[in-house]
Amino acid sequence: MGDPAADGLGAMGAWEFYLIVLLVYLGTDLLAAWGLNLEFGVTGVANLGYIVTIAAGAYAYVIFTLGSPAAAGDFQMYVGGFGLPFPVALAAGVVAGSVVGVLIGITGLKRLRQDYQAIAMLVVSLMAATVVSADTPFLNGNAGLVLLPNFAPLSDQDPEIQRWAYVGIVAVCCVIGYFVLRRFTTGPIGRTLRAVRDDEYAAAAIGKDVVLLRLMVQAAGGALGGLSGALLVGFIGGWSPGAWAYVETLALLTAVIVGGMGNDRGVSVGTFLIAILILQGVQFLNDVPELKALEAQFNRPALTQDLGWIVLGTLTILFIWFRPQGILPERRPKYGEVRG
Amino acid sequence: MGSAPRPILEVSGLVKHYGGVRAVDGISFSVERGTITGLIGPNGAGKSTALNVICGFLPPDGGRVLLDGEDVTGQAMHRLARRGVVRTFQLARVFGGLTTIENLLVAAPGQRGESALGLLGGGRYWGKSENEVLGRAREMLGAFGMQDKADEYARNLSGGQKRAVETMRALMTRPKLLLLDEPMAGLSPSLSRQLEDMFLGLTREGLSLLLVEHSLDTVDRLCSKVVVMAQGKVLAEGRMSELRTRKEVQDAYVIG
Repeated sequence: MGDPAADGLGAMGAWEFYLIVLLVYLGTDLLAAWGLNLEFGVTGVANLGYIVTIAAGAYAYVIFTLGSPAAAGDFQMYVGGFGLPFPVALAAGVVAGSVVGVLIGITGLKRLRQDYQAIAMLVVSLMAATVVSADTPFLNGNAGLVLLPNFAPLSDQDPEIQRWAYVGIVAVCCVIGYFVLRRFTTGPIGRTLRAVRDDEYAAAAIGKDVVLLRLMVQAAGGALGGLSGALLVGFIGGWSPGAWAYVETLALLTAVIVGGMGNDRGVSVGTFLIAILILQGVQFLNDVPELKALEAQFNRPALTQDLGWIVLGTLTILFIWFRPQGILPERRPKYGEVRG
Repeated sequence: MGSAPRPILEVSGLVKHYGGVRAVDGISFSVERGTITGLIGPNGAGKSTALNVICGFLPPDGGRVLLDGEDVTGQAMHRLARRGVVRTFQLARVFGGLTTIENLLVAAPGQRGESALGLLGGGRYWGKSENEVLGRAREMLGAFGMQDKADEYARNLSGGQKRAVETMRALMTRPKLLLLDEPMAGLSPSLSRQLEDMFLGLTREGLSLLLVEHSLDTVDRLCSKVVVMAQGKVLAEGRMSELRTRKEVQDAYVIG
């Protein structure tokens, strides 16, 4: 973490800064996991390209916030560059995520059966990353986009207060996101989406427009992903293809499976476990000298990260085998007895 | 009125093939309004395929399907369902992750809570419509003697119970024409007789049924008209009592 003063952290301690980072990660991961749970856990669309909606939100935020490339001396290339304020860029991220979510949906949902949809969407994820990496004039390719103007709602304030303010914004977005999510996962519409998940043919046989419902969910889930990406990039200040490799979708998927598919609270618990405790926790293994020695021995500099993925993969398999309903199973509503 | 009412369903020259196999080979028949028509025949005769094409589950390779005189050939299953053509499956398909009563609730047509306004308005907007639907669902469960299973996950039900859930779910949509693929299979004799009475009662309220059924006794009791299929073609059509005596029908059942 280095010397806080040298990092421009002002009076903030390194641990306080780390806490802020974790809270922003948690908030943005929650939004993303909720979106994926809506698509996969509730509606049964195994969207293995979900990370692309997050990337779309992040890139949209970036090109809406940055000024024109020429104004910054053309040191990075990108389309757009509108130099617009934070709320507009955030909204652009939401819309971009939603649109991309629907586009991903169209590739798989129109013609393919459930099992093949996942493959089609994974391919979309790989293709999107390849295109963005290769087409440098589009979004600066592999190098990614950096040097976002600092988000400063309280620019005259201490950086510490600014950063806590950002945590507050993320928290507010999470509250709104959760409210929107619950509108989809509870009540008659939630029931209908779960029916589509359980048997799309039987759902069609009672008049449900399965494709339309799924595309609607893709739009909503994508909007949550887009919001997540925009908020994340607004905090970390840069975005590149390395940040949205397809495996990131698998981390979210693990959070959904471990937490409890279809249960919004369960998925929240799963997100905390997977995205924060495990994936951030393994960073501390860097302080274990024995591991450092192993890294050197195998010439594998990212050994701790690899360990994180191994833990995730193992957890996914164990849960699918022994507790497919996850930590908090989907709740069974009681309608049977007549209520007063 | 004068002229006889148009049949609710008219099938003419319907064709469906799988590769080189003509599973349904140019069949024609009709279902009169407020009656139960039986579709029988040996295994592999093409009954289920015919049902699958009529309800829009499979696209036809030829022929026409008219609903109330209107061409609905090849329309998607959910569109036909919204127009009142609702089918059940040969192997009962329930929503396993939903409870029994939810399986019924989900089928109610025009739920306010399913609309965009419902998403915006929340429970205050759809609460009343939900209560109505809930009342109907409880009534239906009562009629099938399954109140005690209301809050059980449908995946935990027995085969016969699943079939009953599927039938109840289809009825919850308030259909005009029900296409039932062996609705009695796996049901207890008493429930099966009860269901027969219920179907007959519903026809008096204007419901029409096309019934694929193996039990000829059931067909005998329920169907005013029976269509016999064999090897993708309509072999004979008429009352069960007449058909039983016809040689080609007997041969089809013996030889297959």
